[in-house]
Amino acid sequence: MSTDPEMIALLSDSARRYAADRYNFLQRHAVLQEGRGYSEKAWQDYAELGWLALRLPESEGGLEADGAAIGAVMEVVGSHLLMEPVLASAIVCAGLLVRLASAEQQARLLPALADGSLKLAFAAEALTLRDNRLNGVAASVLHGDIADQLIVVARDGQGAQDAETLYLVDAGSPGVARQSYRLVDGRGAAMLRFTEAAAERLGAGDVCAKTAVEAVCDEAAVALCAENLGIVKALLERTCEYLKVRQQFGKPIGVNQALQHRAADMYLIREETAALTKAAQRALELPAPERARIVSGAKAYIAHAARRVANEAIQMHGGVGVTEELDVSHYFRRLMVNAELFGSRDRHFARFVERSL
Amino acid sequence: MTMQLARERARKLKADVIRFCERDMPADLLDKSRRHQVLHKDDYVRWMQLLHGQGWAVAHWPSELGGLGWSPLERFAFEDQLARLGCPWIIPFGVKYVGPVIYTYGSAAQKQRFLPRIATTEDFWAQGYSEPGAGSDLASLRTAAVRDGDHYVVNGQKVWTTYAQWADWMFCLVRTDREARPQSGISFLLVDMRSPGVTVKPIPTMDGYTHVNEVWLENVRVPLENLVGEEGAGWTYAKFLLKNERTAGAIVGMAWHALHRLKELAAEVGPDGKRPIDQPLLRNRIGEFELSFLALEEAAYQAVEAMMTGAENGGEASLIKIRGTELYQEIAQATVEVLGPAGIAWDVEALHSGGLPPLGPSDAGGILKDHFYNRAATIFGGASEIQRNIIAKGVLGL
Ligand SMILES: Cc1cc2nc3c(=O)[nH]c(=O)nc-3n(C[C@H](O)[C@H](O)[C@H](O)COP(=O)(O)OP(=O)(O)OC[C@H]3O[C@@H](n4cnc5c(N)ncnc54)[C@H](O)[C@@H]3O)c2cc1C
Repeated sequence: MSTDPEMIALLSDSARRYAADRYNFLQRHAVLQEGRGYSEKAWQDYAELGWLALRLPESEGGLEADGAAIGAVMEVVGSHLLMEPVLASAIVCAGLLVRLASAEQQARLLPALADGSLKLAFAAEALTLRDNRLNGVAASVLHGDIADQLIVVARDGQGAQDAETLYLVDAGSPGVARQSYRLVDGRGAAMLRFTEAAAERLGAGDVCAKTAVEAVCDEAAVALCAENLGIVKALLERTCEYLKVRQQFGKPIGVNQALQHRAADMYLIREETAALTKAAQRALELPAPERARIVSGAKAYIAHAARRVANEAIQMHGGVGVTEELDVSHYFRRLMVNAELFGSRDRHFARFVERSL
Repeated sequence: MTMQLARERARKLKADVIRFCERDMPADLLDKSRRHQVLHKDDYVRWMQLLHGQGWAVAHWPSELGGLGWSPLERFAFEDQLARLGCPWIIPFGVKYVGPVIYTYGSAAQKQRFLPRIATTEDFWAQGYSEPGAGSDLASLRTAAVRDGDHYVVNGQKVWTTYAQWADWMFCLVRTDREARPQSGISFLLVDMRSPGVTVKPIPTMDGYTHVNEVWLENVRVPLENLVGEEGAGWTYAKFLLKNERTAGAIVGMAWHALHRLKELAAEVGPDGKRPIDQPLLRNRIGEFELSFLALEEAAYQAVEAMMTGAENGGEASLIKIRGTELYQEIAQATVEVLGPAGIAWDVEALHSGGLPPLGPSDAGGILKDHFYNRAATIFGGASEIQRNIIAKGVLGL
């Protein structure tokens, strides 16, 4: 499965134009302050742009987008710090439904996902299931604050320890207590407590959810690499602009070689981030062990490298670098969150090493 | 050629190189090279001629000059694979550096005279760029060439000239105009090393070997016909050459080879009955190398592809040079540390004669020698600092 390069160019173009017109730093500020990290209007725009159907089969009006096509959109999600649940709902949950849900469930849920009327969030922390009722706590569910329904991982305590199954739960159902909070980058999340909550099993009895969850989490990790690439590019650009305009001691600060070499190191990281992102996108098509090695390698490398770029960007901006008013600090916070999502740096590094040595 | 085809050809070439190494590579040469022993001129000539026998020494040249129409990707993959296999270095001065300058900018007579003998390594070449006062700031070079009838008379001193002691010819940057801007007063001259007035003095280096030399030029008469291209345009040709110098697949392959050997050594059970690689700190360190290597390999190959499609941003060659050499050096240092006592035992004679080191595995001395030599990898061919200057100024506009 590989998306036509022209389609990718189109997606990338329209995303860039859209974000520049409708989601610039000031417009985003409103979403951040008044919308608590979510804009219904933007969400409808994404549906119209086709982003919410990226991951869906063509038969459902989707694009069946590959890693590179998803990356084209995610890069813009990063460069403009879009806050709505493109990753959680349109990529991760859509991916899980496409891989695991029954035909009936797909026919019911996918059109609503594509037109934006259904927002899903994914709770990766395993819950317990007895008599089709869920119990347990999912402490950190990205966009759990605004999701209409949740996909949760549950163990029935019967089979093997890792025999996981996926269930669909209505976020507003009586057995679900939702405690919403914000992440450091302004996006919303929630702690969800399940007490004898009613749940609908995804798919038929004998499908192994573990393989599908691992594959979809790898897709999410790769999407985050692309998002971080968008951020790294933006940070390098902002920093170089600033080095040219900010004057101290009667000359632009960028004439100092101490800063030039640090900017050059940011460039090296940008190039590596782009190369590893592409490699990870290609690796999604490989058999699981090799896929895991490259995806985890990319996620681990980029997590630290991008943080280094953000640290340097703040440092070279001086005092304004730490202000709310400048996007640099917002990129910094987003990278913190992205490093933790879908596998921390250490977890991916350990997985990479395990498969390399 | 489409990129898809170029990739397929590069993949096939790597397989061919592996087969060549298994079947056609003389065992004694391969052993010497894999143990990083000192190679002598006849070893190198033999090696270059072996490659030429396969059509590979000048496969990147145009087909009418004996090339195979290789893309830059194939050339890169070729150098990478040879280095991964632990084969000797491809001496670049003839086939990779001056050859392309001659067929791109030289006269018909120069092509006819020099290219065939470069391809076969009948002539051994050296690169006479650096001078005592002109290192990183190469354009400040002062070796002067003054016209006298149908000759230039050359006076000055070159330094760090690799293998000048073996060279038949040296391509030189010389100053032909003192009045012009530093860059525009430079010309590209081919000097016969047997000319009267050429003196070569070795400079011993800390790896116990002599690669580099001082080359003194005193009233050396060089025929005008040995000027390449136009007088005063030498800097342009030098920049053309530099791009070939920095885009070296061997940098990637050497890092791979060193990392591979480090992993082997670390997996051997030590006197304490344990494998070093099972110690968490070393395991972590090697894991970081492995991760940096993944980044290097992906970035390098995608950079070569970008240069082929015109999608480059100008920093690609610097990226490969900086990341490749710095990673190699870190791996080499870790390897020496894993060798323990064998990593500080030193027998230069054994390195020259192909004998065994005082302690440790049979390649321990060679590993040390390469560790010493490659401290220079971040200095020659444009030091890491200069590469960062190039990125800052040329790519980022600072
Ligand atoms: C083993 C070896 C083989 C070589 N082979 C050849 C050869 O075959 N032919 C040939 O012509 N030359 C050769 N060279 C020379 C090599 O290209 C030079 O050593 C190199 O250009 C650096 O010059 P330098 O040694 O004079 O150092 P310098 O230029 O004096 O540099 C010293 C230090 O200052 C730094 N520096 C210099 N300028 C700047 C700046 N503007 N900004 C920041 N930092 C700066 C450098 O990065 C370096 O760290 C070889 C060198 C070695 C060591």
